[in-house]
Amino acid sequence: MKKRKVVFFVSVMFLVCVMVFAGGKKEQEVENTPAVEQALPYEGAVLHFAVMADQFSEYTKVLSEEFRKKTGADIRVDILGYVELMQKITQDFATGSAQYDLATMDIVWTGQFEQEGWTRDLTQWIERDKAEIDYDDIVPVLWVMGDWNGRQIGYPLSGYANSLIYRKDLFEDTAEKAAFKAKYGYELAVPNTMIQLGDIAEFFTRPNENMYGLVSNGARGPAVAQDWMEYMRGFGGQVLNSKEEVVVNSSQCIESLEFFVKMFDNWAPAGAIGYWWDDRESSYRTGQSIMQASWSIARAGYEDEAISLVAGKTGMAVTPRVEGQPAGYGVGGWGVSINSDTSEKNAEIAWEFIKFITGKEAQKEWMRNDGAPIRYSTLKDPELNKEMPWLGNILTVFEEGDGNYRPRVPEYSQIQDILGLRINQAITHELGVKEALDLAADEIKALY
Amino acid sequence: MTISSLLSIDRKKITLMWFLVPISVYMVVFFLYPVLYNVFIGFFELKLGRTPVFNGLANYKEMLSDTQFLGSLVTTLIFVSASVSIEVTFGMLIAFLLNHENRLMEFIRTFILIPTVFTPLVAGLVWKSLYHPDLGIITYYMRKMGIDIGRGLIVERSLALGSIVVVDVWEWTPLMVIIILAGLKSLPTEPYEAARIDGAGELPIFFRITLPLLKPTLLVALLIRSLDALKVFDIIWAITGGGPGTSTTVANLRIYEVGMNHLRIGYAAALSNVLLIIGVVVGVFLIKFIYKNERL
Repeated sequence: MKKRKVVFFVSVMFLVCVMVFAGGKKEQEVENTPAVEQALPYEGAVLHFAVMADQFSEYTKVLSEEFRKKTGADIRVDILGYVELMQKITQDFATGSAQYDLATMDIVWTGQFEQEGWTRDLTQWIERDKAEIDYDDIVPVLWVMGDWNGRQIGYPLSGYANSLIYRKDLFEDTAEKAAFKAKYGYELAVPNTMIQLGDIAEFFTRPNENMYGLVSNGARGPAVAQDWMEYMRGFGGQVLNSKEEVVVNSSQCIESLEFFVKMFDNWAPAGAIGYWWDDRESSYRTGQSIMQASWSIARAGYEDEAISLVAGKTGMAVTPRVEGQPAGYGVGGWGVSINSDTSEKNAEIAWEFIKFITGKEAQKEWMRNDGAPIRYSTLKDPELNKEMPWLGNILTVFEEGDGNYRPRVPEYSQIQDILGLRINQAITHELGVKEALDLAADEIKALY
Repeated sequence: MTISSLLSIDRKKITLMWFLVPISVYMVVFFLYPVLYNVFIGFFELKLGRTPVFNGLANYKEMLSDTQFLGSLVTTLIFVSASVSIEVTFGMLIAFLLNHENRLMEFIRTFILIPTVFTPLVAGLVWKSLYHPDLGIITYYMRKMGIDIGRGLIVERSLALGSIVVVDVWEWTPLMVIIILAGLKSLPTEPYEAARIDGAGELPIFFRITLPLLKPTLLVALLIRSLDALKVFDIIWAITGGGPGTSTTVANLRIYEVGMNHLRIGYAAALSNVLLIIGVVVGVFLIKFIYKNERL
């Protein structure tokens, strides 16, 4: 018995020794590594990067690792949901706690960030490194969206084109085409006008087959506010006009909200009133919904059979609008900004990192890993266009786009909050359309 | 002559008072200071990152015409009344069922607390998927049974708050069960023996003996849950975000919106002070009731 105990003890000690000392050679390698990395310019620097949880988020980690190997700077990526990101960085910026050195910013936050002085003006750095970043290669509308009062607050990171996503297979189906023509008297084709959009939505709404013509976000908050503003734009409406007067209860806005309410009442899945972005995308990807206005960042995912039942069946086009309305397609996306409270050294590293991840070299791989384009060279790249035939559509939206339809004013967050409630009240029939927009108008006016 | 003799306090009492220092410091730092600071900033127009400007009672004046906040107070009171009354009733019924000593009851008593252990936010997310208007399993079976739930439990204004109450009842009824069960276990046996000798039936025994004896325990349970339910935030935030419309916007959610979305910290503080006062009034009322009952 005693002998067995001794054997057991010796065996355990042997195993422990093997585990502890087996890494000896590795340790030696690790010890050697700093000697190599000492040559790197930003060795030892640690920065924190708040990143929106979107399709591109995971690849920012890959890029930050590449940057670390190249420069020695450790950019730690913190991926956060939309509301969480907004609240975390605004609190960080406002209190000066400098928890994050740099952050992705929705372009609609530009006005607020500039006015509050929360993020650095990148204008001088951009001027200095204009040739290096190839300034003119970045689509102008994306520069404009990160600019407020002549100060470049956000550097373009991910450009989104709001587009009509539709089931190409059904639009090309001969039986469907014939049935549509018999019912509406014209050919079934990608809709150009809101009337056509309504007709097609109605045509494809077949609740018995769990099939719905058109879907949008309906959940109270930014989800419903942002989706409604896209339709508002298509009807020629605005929240604020060029003089920053509140015109959210104009006849165009009322018309657009009537259309929006009609969509939820008749053409969208029953639960769409509670949809956030991911719910809307799921509804389309599972084949439940036939059309949606959506950001181009989701486009590649429709072809991924692991998450999509409509791979190979999706078409993408510019969003419809009322007849006579100028294009002004919806442009959005994410910029990247540097915290005003971060140290000079960290700001310099952050700037180098921004140039690295938005550079031509990184952008091509960025696109192949669910990223969104900002450069002409990427959008016109023949290889990428072969892999992603929808890039041409994105370019059209960018070239004829309007990034201001969601007002980038300093009060945007509050405006979105107001619309998020009032639009939701309209689609749930808690308020009438006019009543909802009149209330929204009064509340937005009270902000000024 | 020492101070203690002047104040007629003996040395032993002074020594004992030193033991109160840690808890007093804790109360001042973690309870009194935040409350007083909250009351203080309620008198300022304070936007995060800006210099505070004293504005007296302006925040409270604004609150009186803030229909969204006043509406959220009404929703809160409806939520508290509905959820707490159901939880206490169910808690009592289940506690009576479990008040037997056998292996099965021991097993159930151990596992009944599981919902309470859930983080409310996680519980909210789980229920959100169960309630999902298109894909939720609850929605699916309710529709299959022919129950009219309109567009869905959490997207219909008339059903959303009720659905949230169900989640709250699911999560907190077990706590009520445990509290009431403890109360039942501590009841004296003599009144029951006397009543049974006198030939009393089970129902009169319940209403005339058990319920009166259990009253202090029930009031404590009511106090704990009412104060907690007044502060509800997480499950609503996770499931409906206050919607559809304003149907599930409770006071805490509105305060959060004002503070975190609008960054109006001063106004949010004023609103939370009002909620604090309501909580204190409810608490004092119930505590008085408990003591009154004990004296009887």
